[in-house]
Amino acid sequence: MSMKSADAALRATAPARAAAPVRTLARPSLLASLAPALLGLVVPGAFLVLWWGVVAAGVFPPSVLPSPFTVAAAAFDWAFGDPQNGGYSGTLAQAIWASGQRVLLGYAIAMVLGVAIGVPTGASRLMGHLVDPFIHLLRPIPVTAWVPLSLVFFGFGFKGAVFLVALGSFFPIVVNTIEGVRGANRSLVKVGRMLGARGWRLLWYFILPASLPSVFVGLRLGMGISWELIIVAEMMSVKSGIGYTLLDAYSFGRFDVVIAAMIVLGVMGFLSDRVIVAVQSVALRWHREVSIHAEQ
Amino acid sequence: MPSNETRDSDAILRCERLDRTFVSRDAGENRVLQDINFEMRKGEFVVLIGPSGCGKSTLLNIIAGFDRQTAGLALIDGRPIAGPGPDKAMVFQDYALLPWLNARENIEIGLKMQRMPAAQRTETALRFLELVGLAEAAERPVYKLSGGMQQRVSIARALALEPKVLLMDEPFGALDAFQRAIMHKELVRIWRATQATIIFVTHSLEEAVFLGERVVAMTPRAVGLTGELRIDMPRPRDPLSPEFAAVKRRLFEMITSHLTEEVAVFAE
Ligand SMILES: Nc1ncnc2c1ncn2[C@@H]1O[C@H](COP(=O)(O)OP(=O)(O)OP(=O)(O)O)[C@@H](O)[C@H]1O
Ligand SMILES: [Mg+2]
Repeated sequence: MSMKSADAALRATAPARAAAPVRTLARPSLLASLAPALLGLVVPGAFLVLWWGVVAAGVFPPSVLPSPFTVAAAAFDWAFGDPQNGGYSGTLAQAIWASGQRVLLGYAIAMVLGVAIGVPTGASRLMGHLVDPFIHLLRPIPVTAWVPLSLVFFGFGFKGAVFLVALGSFFPIVVNTIEGVRGANRSLVKVGRMLGARGWRLLWYFILPASLPSVFVGLRLGMGISWELIIVAEMMSVKSGIGYTLLDAYSFGRFDVVIAAMIVLGVMGFLSDRVIVAVQSVALRWHREVSIHAEQ
Repeated sequence: MPSNETRDSDAILRCERLDRTFVSRDAGENRVLQDINFEMRKGEFVVLIGPSGCGKSTLLNIIAGFDRQTAGLALIDGRPIAGPGPDKAMVFQDYALLPWLNARENIEIGLKMQRMPAAQRTETALRFLELVGLAEAAERPVYKLSGGMQQRVSIARALALEPKVLLMDEPFGALDAFQRAIMHKELVRIWRATQATIIFVTHSLEEAVFLGERVVAMTPRAVGLTGELRIDMPRPRDPLSPEFAAVKRRLFEMITSHLTEEVAVFAE
């Protein structure tokens, strides 16, 4: 219905109010649609100013707390400097690749194992009784407590780091997969059985799709933990990557590089989360829409 | 009072001395169904009516195979009911459509589980969507359909299985009064077109009188079904006509007389 006929309808039903201005739904302006993004920049901006102010006032020695500009310069040199200069110049890509590789492999292992173990554990009562207690016993052990064992079994380097990442992200993935499969909407499972689906077909066509939203929760949590653990692993036992750079810079008192490394980690974590969210929004379009409808 | 239906051989569904007792730790034994005798002909439209908590859903769940009786017999086509399956299709109050599929796929998935070939599946699904008046919504995601439309998809899904009985447990409870009135007419039309055998559960007298060929009443903790009423009123039935009101009153009296009897028994 156009605005005009809506107005007409209003007038027809409420002649007394016809003179009053009719509130119309204005199309959101460009400024209005950018407003949330701009608002999101206010607090970080204020934070930067505060940071700069603290440094300028000389509260801490500049060697301990460098200014935002020093950090930006260090980050730029780390990313684009000439490697011939030595130090950290131009080694960022290498560090990202070293860490990213370990995260990807460890995460992939966790995803495959988490889903492969989580689905049967959630679907079968017997498997649940067998596997559940074990998972819940292992889960409270902080992954960092595994470091000594990891060093014994996998040594210093790539394998140990991948092991820690895989172990840490395995738990949220497996636990959420179990919950998702177990909690798959009761009435949909009933429907599946009514339609004649048994066993694998019931699982594949009814239970698994219904459990996906929960599985994705696990995947996102797992990715966050991956980035945490790669830093732990690289600080303890590996001689490359962002975590290693961070620790190395600390030992040389290069706090500008330390802070630059922290920022890079934040960005990497954010980007990998966005990737999962993007996959999720395609795979679970129905889920988003259903939740939106349910809210109305 | 057991059903006084004669035991004709074309009974498609039969319950004999059916009992269902729930045992729970806190509440002890709860005998919900007691000595239920009930029979249905092929093509019949039976409405099961009774107050909340009298065991209507329990009985329907046993017939659907979702639940099991604690004693007695439940037979479909002379064979005991063993678990859910496409010969006893249920239309759920909350539609229970698969939200990741569109309307057509929601019907096809059932046919796929029957291992029907793909081309025939699509053709069948479209035919049943047409039957329920949703041909143009075939490719729409089900979560974008209104409640009434979703319930039509759910009915089409059940009918496409060509079940021996179609079970409907308060299927229109979530719809508004206008949609419900439309669905009542539609259901009668669909029933006549398909000659499906339908058990329809409700606690609305109006719904019962509008839809049923036979209305069977249940009351809580009564032994068996408490009474039944044949409704031969011609269709389409007019809910505002005096005949309709008269039948409704008779049904109401039939149910409440048993309710007061029950109260009297409890008072002793
Ligand atoms: N799984 C169960 N375990 C224990 N008691 C149950 C169970 N299911 C139903 N009951 C009990 O059986 C009785 C009948 O329930 P039922 O759902 O069949 O009633 P109903 O006639 O369908 O009611 P309504 O009109 O509200 O849907 C209730 O007292 C209920 O508490
Ligand atoms: Mg019920």
